[in-house]
This record gives sequence, structure tokens and C-alpha cells, in this order.
Amino acid sequence: MSNRRKQPEVTSTGGDLPSQPPRLVAVIDIGTSSIRMAIGEITADGQTRTVETLSQAVAIGRDTFTGRKISRSTIEGCVRVLSSYRVVLDSYGITSADQLRCVATSAVREAMNRLAFLDRIYIATQIQVEVLDESEVSRITFLSVQPELKADPLLSAARCFVVEVGGGNTEFLVVENGKVTFSHTCSLGSLRLRKMMESLDTPSRKEREFLENQIDRFVSQALQQAHTDDGLTTELIALGSDFRFAAEELAPGRAENTLATIPIKKLNDFVDRMLPISVDELVHDYHLTFPDAETLGPALLAMANIARRLNADQLRVSDVNLRDGLLTELANDDMWSGDYGEHVIGAAIDLGDKYAFEENHARHVAELSGKLFDALQMHHRLDARSRVMLILAALLHEIGMFVSLSGYHKHSMYLIQNSALFGLSRTDQQIVALVARYHRRASPKPTHIGYANLARQDRIVVSKLASILRIADSLDRSYSQRIRDFTCTVKKDRLIITVPGVDDLSLEQIALKQTAQLFEETYGLSVLMRRSQV
Amino acid sequence: MTESELRFFNRELSWLEFNQRVLEEAQNTSLPLLERLKFLAITASNLDEFFMIRVGGLQSLEARGSQTRDAAGMTPTEQLTAISERAHALTQSQYSCYLDQLEPAFADASIQRLRMNDLTAKQTQFVQQFFNSEVMSLVAPLAVESPDSFPTLVGNSISMCVRLERPSRSEDGNETRFVVLPFGRIPTRFVTLPSERTYSFVLLEELVERFVSEFFPKETVLECVAFRATRDADMAIREDLAGDLLQQMKQLLVERRESEFARLEIAQDASTEVIDFLKDCLGVEDRDVYRIPGPLDLTHFFQIADAGTGDGNRYEAWPPLPSPMVDPMESLFETISRQDVMLYHPYDSFAPVVRFVEEAAVDPDVLAIKQTLYRTSRNSPIVAALAKAAENGKHVTVVIELKARFDEARNIEGAKVLEQAGVQVFYGVKGLKTHAKLCIVVRREPQGIQRYLHFGTGNYNESTARIYSDVSLLTCDEDLGADAIAFFNSVTGYSMPQTMHGLSAAPITLRDRLAEMIEAEIQFKRQRQKSGITVKVNSLVDPQMIEMLYRASQAGVKVRLNVRGICCLRPGVPGLSDNIEVVSVVDRLLEHARILHFRHGGDDRVFISSADWMGRSLDRRVELLVPVQDDRSRHRLMEILECYFKDNVKGRRLQPDGTYKIPTKRGSSGLKMPAQEWLYREACRVSELAAQSRQAIFEPYRAPDQ
Repeated sequence: MSNRRKQPEVTSTGGDLPSQPPRLVAVIDIGTSSIRMAIGEITADGQTRTVETLSQAVAIGRDTFTGRKISRSTIEGCVRVLSSYRVVLDSYGITSADQLRCVATSAVREAMNRLAFLDRIYIATQIQVEVLDESEVSRITFLSVQPELKADPLLSAARCFVVEVGGGNTEFLVVENGKVTFSHTCSLGSLRLRKMMESLDTPSRKEREFLENQIDRFVSQALQQAHTDDGLTTELIALGSDFRFAAEELAPGRAENTLATIPIKKLNDFVDRMLPISVDELVHDYHLTFPDAETLGPALLAMANIARRLNADQLRVSDVNLRDGLLTELANDDMWSGDYGEHVIGAAIDLGDKYAFEENHARHVAELSGKLFDALQMHHRLDARSRVMLILAALLHEIGMFVSLSGYHKHSMYLIQNSALFGLSRTDQQIVALVARYHRRASPKPTHIGYANLARQDRIVVSKLASILRIADSLDRSYSQRIRDFTCTVKKDRLIITVPGVDDLSLEQIALKQTAQLFEETYGLSVLMRRSQV
Repeated sequence: MTESELRFFNRELSWLEFNQRVLEEAQNTSLPLLERLKFLAITASNLDEFFMIRVGGLQSLEARGSQTRDAAGMTPTEQLTAISERAHALTQSQYSCYLDQLEPAFADASIQRLRMNDLTAKQTQFVQQFFNSEVMSLVAPLAVESPDSFPTLVGNSISMCVRLERPSRSEDGNETRFVVLPFGRIPTRFVTLPSERTYSFVLLEELVERFVSEFFPKETVLECVAFRATRDADMAIREDLAGDLLQQMKQLLVERRESEFARLEIAQDASTEVIDFLKDCLGVEDRDVYRIPGPLDLTHFFQIADAGTGDGNRYEAWPPLPSPMVDPMESLFETISRQDVMLYHPYDSFAPVVRFVEEAAVDPDVLAIKQTLYRTSRNSPIVAALAKAAENGKHVTVVIELKARFDEARNIEGAKVLEQAGVQVFYGVKGLKTHAKLCIVVRREPQGIQRYLHFGTGNYNESTARIYSDVSLLTCDEDLGADAIAFFNSVTGYSMPQTMHGLSAAPITLRDRLAEMIEAEIQFKRQRQKSGITVKVNSLVDPQMIEMLYRASQAGVKVRLNVRGICCLRPGVPGLSDNIEVVSVVDRLLEHARILHFRHGGDDRVFISSADWMGRSLDRRVELLVPVQDDRSRHRLMEILECYFKDNVKGRRLQPDGTYKIPTKRGSSGLKMPAQEWLYREACRVSELAAQSRQAIFEPYRAPDQ
């Protein structure tokens, strides 16, 4: 009955050393109303286990959402919290930077004095805080929830609408057959709403009406974009402490690591019951922490609204949180080369669909780009993440044709820049957009807006990837996908691409002449294509 | 009887009944003499504490004009009147026990109390010398002109009040005056006399009385009487208003000397003049005056009990036994990782708990130790081990409760030692006393971080662990480990409270959890499944909990309570509590464990806890309720609980009228001996069995690295 961990099998003959001990890591998430830390272990085979979790209240969201600035006293409050976390980290011997990841979300991101905040934290605690943008939060949320979706046979086959109503933002993720098909973040936040209500001095009898209006506006917009009104049944999955509380109240005693299920009718009754209860009463009667009590009402109401619009008849509640995703990410250094990269690519194909791209050509160019990338590994020395960005740019390089043929590469660029591309940070998305742009015509120039203000290393990535994309695109100039197989060899200062089984390569060779210049400039290699000698 | 009186006993009167049960042990002629003397000293020390805390508190309520009624429907004044009546009777019983039974038997233990008139010439010379050298230099007579000039007395210390007469300068006769001789902290109460073979002593106050005129050569001593005043200690500590808690506690020790008096004890033969004078000066009422027919302050007789000798004057020794679950040759961490270890002290030795911390202090794989400390012993080996751990570079965090009743000074001292060693010391939670007993050892092992836990029902104090019966649970259960860390982080402010899966903590979830467990029994009973509640606590006061137990009884759930001390629940009342049985065991060991057993439809849920069922424990203290999951431990705890209800020797049953009776009819189900003795014999049997089976195999000494 006792729940003890398995001891490693030790053979009596001895000699078998236990495998490498797990690596201790920690993740800290600076949220709107609390700073949370999870200490975790990563085993040699990439499994994670949460060892300890901590949470302390801070008023960042209250400051940012009312005065757009984090106040001095709040900053010092954060310093105090992080310093106390330092003590806990020290007790586990978590001291080096690669064992710790500290991220901040919307409340810090939107603060005007964000940089002062980050600097003060660093000076006082030597903790480097990384401000996540919306799409990164989506990515990490997906990473956290993915194992649960995968483990459940029903959910892994269904269309899942994953929603996290946070203090500052609400995130929507649509996962179909395990692939992300839609992601969206809007500034519908439970704490934000609470603060807005307070600053407008909404009379308490009008509170619900006010909240309903605000929520309705955001949710209708989000759901419109998600295109889920096709009649397919949707499983609604909620993340966040507000819904964990609802699950404890409404569906107690569920097994661990399973999703709780709440019938929507019960949820609605619960919303009606909880909404009139004041924050102080929630703290006192329901033993909620103050930050949780503040966000409960708006968050529940938002979820009820979403459930209504989706016609869901039940809500599933997951226990996972941002820290789980961050731990998973720490555990998977080569995440981009695996499953996750596939998800990002899947989302990009959906975007391509939206702009009626020529899928066969796009996929083929992407495949050729990947092959070239791998063959040239010794020359560009880029990581798996860059490879995914190259693939994305290859998939999306012609979507600008949806707007107009003339200068379509530029249309491709801004469509990419302004679309919600799941899983990419702002910088990553900018790189993808630029690589798509530079697949033809002008080489990157310091005068080009968007290119000039990238960091040097990112500019180099753009050049390296764009020159590969140009060659890959040339190889399918015929739009017939006839070149499938080739080998690359580098001799002296020449890259020789040898193509078997194609008699006439003149179309591609002419195309190459026009496009290989950037490659030559970037890699110092001229490009030669020839048929293989049988 | 009013409705509330019918439902609840007054807690103060119930407490006095408890002291009555202790007194009955002192009166019990079948017990060894010196043990009876100890029991008598315990009743005196209990009564002192009762006056300082409870009576003092009620008096200030009364002084502030409070008319609030308690759960039994009594106002402070009504309670104080009833207390005074009961306490006076109790005091009379104490002294008739002492004077009629115990003192006359002192000779059997080679003890002799002498009166000043009985001394030999040699002894008289000795006491004269003692007076000149010790008393004259340590005692300063203080003249009292008016009540305002009355000296500050050390609480509960003995003083003498001297009424003097001197010729007046005016014509109209003599004038009298009062002088107080405070003994303060004079270490000697019993002046040992030169004597052969027997321990002979005189009481200090009798010695002083004899020579007191030497202080006042020009006056006539009309009267010299010993008295003792008990102070009100119930100081409300307003944490929010004062800054540093430690500082505040230091102040409290001082403040205590200046608070009001709850009781005046005075020699029986004192004159009305002296009594009226002292009442006036100390501000006590007739109600609070206790005229004492024998030596004041029977707590001092602990010393005499220790000094006595002779066969059969003490209990047969019960040395704690090594638990068969703990192999002394093996690291405790290995033992615990194989199976939970449950110990029932003092039958099972407390040594493994000390070893748990000591091993952690030197184990190279241990990263951190987190522990709560409530009352520690002098030179506590656990405090030493924690300090050593910190010196060895472990992260040691300790929550030390400074507000542990009367132990502040020792705890402050312990805290300083720890801080100097580099331990991170927290002084409890604002507004709450940290009463939970928990030690967490975080260890880095090949398969990852592993947490070893000790949960207890008693303090980390190896001296009291020899006379208090308490449960220890050592486990490395994953969920409990996570909960324990979360709990500790919330107590130390590292984190806001988080949801726990196994543990329940007061003041947040413990009460709700108990309510759920009781409610579940009612449901099981309704569904005709196995139900039943068996609870062992020290006190049962909380009206909400009592009402829930009444509800369970009314639903037909069998409720058995083993409550050593105060019990405000009225059992056996038709229609209210027919199904409730209350047993109190007062015997040689102090019953201190809190164990709970719920039948739960046959699932048998067992818990141990640091909390009594009192408002202060459930709402104003940090306490823990710990589920016991390991089957062996669970069944042993159920068996332990069971034996208290079978005790027909020391198991006194609470009657509907509030008195306690030992069952006259010795049913076949009863044990043939007191529960404590049965538990000890049982522990011996198990320990012997284990020793035998160990002898059956040859165990070579191995080099340490094998």
C-alpha cells in the first residue's frame, strides 16, 4: 500500500554500477501573481520527476495591469522571493546556470520597465530571467500537456481544445491527432479582468455582466480564427490552478495523473455559486491563497463561456503547468529534431493551406532543403532548431503568391511575420520570414528592415539557411519533384551535387546559376551540379 | 441542567478531574511509596500550571467584566467559583494523602523529616550555622509600608511574612509592621541534616522561622508564616504589534514577574491579620486563598522521591527495548527504504530517532535536514546533531517554537547554538504555535532525490521520551515526502500552502479532514458497512468535534475515546451519546500519543497526529495528521489502541455525571493487567523473539566497506 520508489536492482555478485544518477534542475516561472519554482530530476533516458514545488505571491500583474509598470516594492518583493529560492537551490546543489531556467510571462513582458526589472533581479540574485513571448508560452504549454493527451486513447484520437486562462493572457491550442493545428493567445486574463473591474469601480451587482461582456469579445474572436465550427466533436481541456480547484470541489478523488472530468452543467452551477463570493471569503472558507482567490471568478466564467460556444458537454482538467513543460524542454536538448519539430512543421503546413500553397512543391523543397542541410552540417554547424526553421521557410516560401505574384517573396515574409506560427519565438519567426524572403532576388542587405535589427548570429543564420533554400528551390524548378535523390561532395572550394537518374538537368542548372551566388558568398563554395556516372 | 450543560462538561472542571485521577495514583496503597510521592508532586505541579494559565486567564476575563459563557454555559465568575470549590477539596486531599499516608511511611524509604524541636545538639548547631552563612546572606527582609511597596516575588516561590511589634515613640502602645522575606531562588528547600543511614532534612521555612528574630534584634516577632503566590502567566502575545519574535519572548520572561496573582497559599495557622495583609497586597480574593495544613509547594517533593531508597519503593524498571524493526548494524536509511518503521515509545527505544538525525548529520549523501523543534532536552543530542550537520555543510533548517509553555529560555538557548553552527533557524509562524513533529532528511541517491521522514506525536526530547508514550513513524513514502516538504516550506514561508495528498495540517485542512473521516463513518453505518471510530488524544475540548461525535453516535457508529486529560464530551447520555465510551488511563507512563482509527467500511484508516482535539490545536497551532499506510504499522497501532479499552485496572471510565470509575466487573474480555504493563510485556516478548531468531544465524563481522 505504501508508495515507495523502486530500489535499483542490485545483483549480489556486484560490479554492476547503477546508471548515471539523475540530473537535478530547476525551473522558475514568474507569473502575474506568483513566482513558482519546481525542482526536478532528469534521468539519463530523459524522464523527468518533480521533486519539490514552491510558490510565493507577488504583485507584478496588479502593477502592470493597472499602472503598466512594476513598482519598486514589487521588484524588491520578487528579489526577496528569488533570493529565498536561491537558498533552496543551494540545498540541492543546483548552482550552475545550465541547471536553472527562469522565465517570465505576460505581466513582466508588458511592463514598461521590463529591462530595469530584469537587471535588478540579475544584480541581486544572479538569476537570468528570460521573458517568454506568447508563442513560446504556447509551445511550452503544449510540451506540458502533450504527454497526457498521448497517454489517453480517447484524447489522442480526438480534437482537443486546450485552454489556459492565465492571469494576463488566455492561450488556446487545438491539437488534432496529436498535432497542433491552431494556437492563439489573447489578452483575456483573469487577474487583468479583476484589476480592470477594480479600476473602473464596477458595482458588485454589475460585475458579472461586465466580465461576461469582456470575455465574450475575446472568446468569439479567438474561436472564429480557430475554425472549429465544422461539427466535429471537441474535447475541452482546461489548465491552471483555478480549474484544479474546481476539479477538487466537483470531481474529488480521481486517480493521480489522470484528467478530471466535470460535466458542463456542474461547472455552470459552480460558477453561479462561486462568483458572488468575495475574495476574502474564498481565502477564509475555501483555504485558497489570495492570488488564487482573486483569479477564480473571472477564470471560471471565461471557461464557461468557451464551453458554451464550443457546445462542449464536459470539461477535462489537467494538472500540468508551465513548469512541467519547462522541465520537459530542459530534459530534451534535442527536442527540435524529434516529435516536437514535427508538430511545428505540422502547424506550418496548416498555415500554408490557409494561403493555398502548392503543397507538393513546398514539401519537396522542404525535403531537399533538409537533405542539403544535413549534407552541409560540417560547413554551417547549425543545430536542429535551425533545421526546423529552414524547413518552415521552405514550406512557406511561396505563400506570398496568395497576395500577388509580383514580389511575392516579400509577401511571404510579412505573411509569416504576422501569422501565429506555433512553437516559434518572435526571433525565430522573424528568421523564418527572412529566409523565405531571401529565397529569391536580392541578397540580404544591411538596409533591409527586419534583417538589419537582428543580432549578428541570427543574421548569419538567415544567410546560411536562405542560401540553402535557394539551391533546394532551384532543384525543383520544374515543379515536378523529379529530383529526389542526390549526393553532395565538397572538393576544394566546390560543392558538387550529383543527381542520379535524370537525363536532362539543364533547367535546374540554369536556375542554379541564378541562385547560387548567395551560397558562394556565404559558404565560400561554388556550386556544380552533374548527372551521376552510371 | 441547561441544554449546554447537558452537552458539555466544563473544561476546567474536567481538568481538575484529571488531576484527581493523578492524585488517586498517589493515594493508591498498592503502589510503591516513592512513586506515590512523585504522583503527589505531579498533582501539585499540574495545579500550579493550571492556576497560572487557566485560572489567571479566567480572572483577567472576569476583571474585564466578561459575561461570556463557555460551551457548558458558565460565565467566568461561575467557573472561578466552581474551580475554587473543587481545587480546595483537591488541595485538602493532597495534604491528607501527604500527611496521613506518605510522610508517616518515609522511614521505609530511609527518609526522615525532622521538626526543629526534634534536632540533636549537633544538628541544631549545624542549622544555626546554615542560617548564619546561607540564609543571612541570601535573604533580605523587605519592609512593606503599603501594598504598593510590596516586593516583586518570583512566581511560585516560597516567602515568609513576618509580623513584628516594636514599642511606639508615641504614648499609645506598640506599633506592628510587616516584613517579607522572599526566598526567591534559594536552591535549598530541604536542608539536609547530618545523620546516620537515613536521609534527614528540615524544611527551610521552619528553620528560618526558628531564627528569624535574629534579623530583627530590636523587635518582637509576633508571627512568621510561609506563603506562596501563583502568578497569572497567560500573556497574550501580540505578534503583529511587536517586531522581532525572539526579542518579544525575552521580554515576556520579564513581564511574567509583573503580572497578577491567581492564588495565595499560606500556612494554615496564619493569623487573620497576616492573611488580610497579604490579600490586600497581592490583590487576591478569599476565593483564591488556600490554607495549607502541611509543607507548601509539594512539587519540591520530587527531590525527596529521588533521594529515597529501599527495595520495593519504586516501580520495577522498564528499560526501553530495541525495536526488532531496526537493525543496529544497518544504516537507518537502508532500513527505512525497505519498509516503514513504526515505534511506540517508551516501550520501543527512542534511540533510532536520535540516530536518524545523527546519521543524517554525517552521511555524505544527505543534502538537507528540515526539522521542527518544540520542547528539547538540556544538552539535546538532536540539537547537537543538527548543529554538526550544518557544520558538515548540510543545509539544515529548523523551526523552533519559542512559545512552548515555560520552555522559552531553554529553547532560546538551543536556537542560539543552532544559529552559530550555521543552521537556518525560524521562530515559528506568526500567530500560530508550531506543534507538529516532523523531521525530513533529503538524500541524494543513485536513483534520484529520496526523502526520509520522521513523524511523531511527541517532542524531539529523548528524556521525556522515557516517560511519555508516543508514536514515531519513519518512512520514505513518496507522497508523504512531497507533502512534508510542501508543509515545511509553508511553515518557513518559502512557499504558500499547497495542496497535500496524504498529510493534513492545522489550521488549514486538519479539521476538515477529521470531519470528512467522521462523516464517512456515518455513511458507512447507514450503508450497513463496517464502521467505528477509535481515537486516542490527550484532550477533547472542541465543541465542533464533540458535536460531530454525537452525530456519529446518534447514527449508530460506535465511538471509543481514550482521552487521558480533559474531556468535555458527556458519554452515555441516552439519545445523545449512547454509543460513546470514554476511557482515561493514568498510570506510570504519561499517555501522550494521538492515534486515530476509522473502520471506513473495513478499510481501516489509521492516523497518528500531533494535535489534540481542542480549539487551540485545530485552529491556532500548526499541527499534522499523518496517515499510516504500512500494514504492519497499521495493525500494531490498532492493537495498541485496543488494549487501552481492555484495561480494567487503570482504565477509568468517564460516567455521564463527569466522574471517572474503574469498572468493577472484570469481564473476560479484560486484560489481566494494566494496559501499560501489557504493552511492555508484549514489547519484551517481541524483542526476545527477534533476538532468538538473530541468534539462530551466524553473523560475521565485516569490514566497513563490504
